[in-house]
Amino acid sequence: MTITRDNIWVVIPAFNEGQVIADVVAGVVREGYRVVLVDDGSADATGDFAAAAGADVVRHPINLGQGAGLQTGIAYALARGADAIVTFDADGQHRASEIALLIETLARENADFVLGSRFKGAAVNLPPRRRLLLKAATLFTRVTTGLDVSDAHNGFRALSRRGAQAITLRQNRMAHASEILHEIARSGLRYVEAPVTIEYSAYSLAKGQKISDSIVIMVDLFARRLHR
Amino acid sequence: MIAQLLLTALLMAILLYSWIAYRKSPAVALLSFLASLAGLYLVWLPNHASTLAHWIGIGRGVDLVLYVWVGISLILLLNLHLKLRAQMEVITQLARAIALANALPSRPGQEPPRPQSGD
Repeated sequence: MTITRDNIWVVIPAFNEGQVIADVVAGVVREGYRVVLVDDGSADATGDFAAAAGADVVRHPINLGQGAGLQTGIAYALARGADAIVTFDADGQHRASEIALLIETLARENADFVLGSRFKGAAVNLPPRRRLLLKAATLFTRVTTGLDVSDAHNGFRALSRRGAQAITLRQNRMAHASEILHEIARSGLRYVEAPVTIEYSAYSLAKGQKISDSIVIMVDLFARRLHR
Repeated sequence: MIAQLLLTALLMAILLYSWIAYRKSPAVALLSFLASLAGLYLVWLPNHASTLAHWIGIGRGVDLVLYVWVGISLILLLNLHLKLRAQMEVITQLARAIALANALPSRPGQEPPRPQSGD
């Protein structure tokens, strides 16, 4: 698989991230990747900051959720002929310098999905309660998908073109993280994990998942099974 | 007697609805058809409701009807929830199409230099 850096698209879904988005986008653009920022109906100037920092901007007319944002960004990148797609968080938790590692793993392992794992890499400033919640979610995902993964809710991933075409995200809200793993299992394509660093800040923690969200996620996943 | 006539009229209307709705959603039509038939039966022979209730271990016929009603309501609620989700998916597709049709390329002049890609 030959992947050229300028044909790697980094998809960043964002909702009201005006405070940090310019730095996040600029960091990725500096590494030489193409960026599509999906502005999920933000009330602030997230999209404008991102465009100025070098991202193509796709704006949802209404707020739909992070899962919907990812799917829109993936559709955009595929339409632009992306060889590989990286999903990246808007809140500054991920390191742009590690994108190269994911892409390199994609090519070296001849995989269609490379899943970032903070438990194989590093989780900086991860509070103990959050760690417990993530471990429980990982266990749940391992049981329900049969995938051998060490980190279930990591938004830092790389997909080959074929991999991106093989999956469809229908969970608009937070359940998409589990759904993407279900889709990977269903596709039967090759996946591997790669160590990544997730750096928690007061900003990202305030925006992150809470324990109560896990109940909503379970309901969403259950409902999807009912009306497939 | 007045209550019985009123309920009969209502249930007959549901019977008519199930007949009309059969083509569009046979499952819903069949269920409402059976439910309204059972309703008509119990409206005119209320004692049978009590007998049936005793038979399955419920005190009064009224209670039996109440429990069945709660059950049906919950199923309808679930059905409604699923329909709303399906509708949300359609809205999502619409919003996505609008978003992709109005995509803004990154602002020229402010981009850092990057290799030419050809597209």
